[in-house]
Amino acid sequence: MKSLVGLFLVLAVLVLIPVLESAFAAGDEPGEYLDRRVIIWNLFFRMMTVAFVVGAVVSGTLIWQCWRFRESHPQAKPTKYEGTDW
Amino acid sequence: MRELTGKMSGHSNWPEWIYVGVIIALMCWVGAEAWEAERLVEHVPEDAETIKVTGQQWFWTFEHEDGTKEIGELHVEVGKAYKFEIHSTDVNHSFNIHDYVVLMDAIPGRVNTVWFAPTDAGQHDIQCREYCGLIHYNMRGTLYVEEPST
Repeated sequence: MKSLVGLFLVLAVLVLIPVLESAFAAGDEPGEYLDRRVIIWNLFFRMMTVAFVVGAVVSGTLIWQCWRFRESHPQAKPTKYEGTDW
Repeated sequence: MRELTGKMSGHSNWPEWIYVGVIIALMCWVGAEAWEAERLVEHVPEDAETIKVTGQQWFWTFEHEDGTKEIGELHVEVGKAYKFEIHSTDVNHSFNIHDYVVLMDAIPGRVNTVWFAPTDAGQHDIQCREYCGLIHYNMRGTLYVEEPST
């Protein structure tokens, strides 16, 4: 049952994406004068800012976890399912 | 301490759900920003002049609205918008004005469009960006952006 729901979820997304794309695609209404270089650079700059922030947070979390939960940490405790006496 | 049931109990799923939520929100934001940028650069201004661009091995031909034809060079004016209708007569090419971030494939049997509005007078390179045979490397042209004549 669960896999059926998952399958239909995937299928629904596959149908939805083209529908949304055609709904939001450039229509016939005229555009305004703009500098492609500025639009494209701004997009790139914002995406890269987000990418580097996310990268720093994720790698920072991983590094902190490795440091904090190492066996030699002064406050390290064995978990129940390790079943060892420290 | 609460009795543990199951092999991984006693552990909270909340951080993971927050993580998933943040990722979904970020992806929605990235998609919306990209969509908006695409919408902006794809809408051609009403008064844009149409220039027919033909790519063929191994040169570019341009035809203005008034019928003027140019080979290997293109003259346009500052402050006007131009819509390129790009097609190819033989193999796939790609029309590129690097300095103005104009890049669109020229495909036999179809017309692709892209538009731009030059901002400063000067000369810029036009180059084919899709390998199209022996002399692809030299399938170049020059864009001359001139001050308005009127």
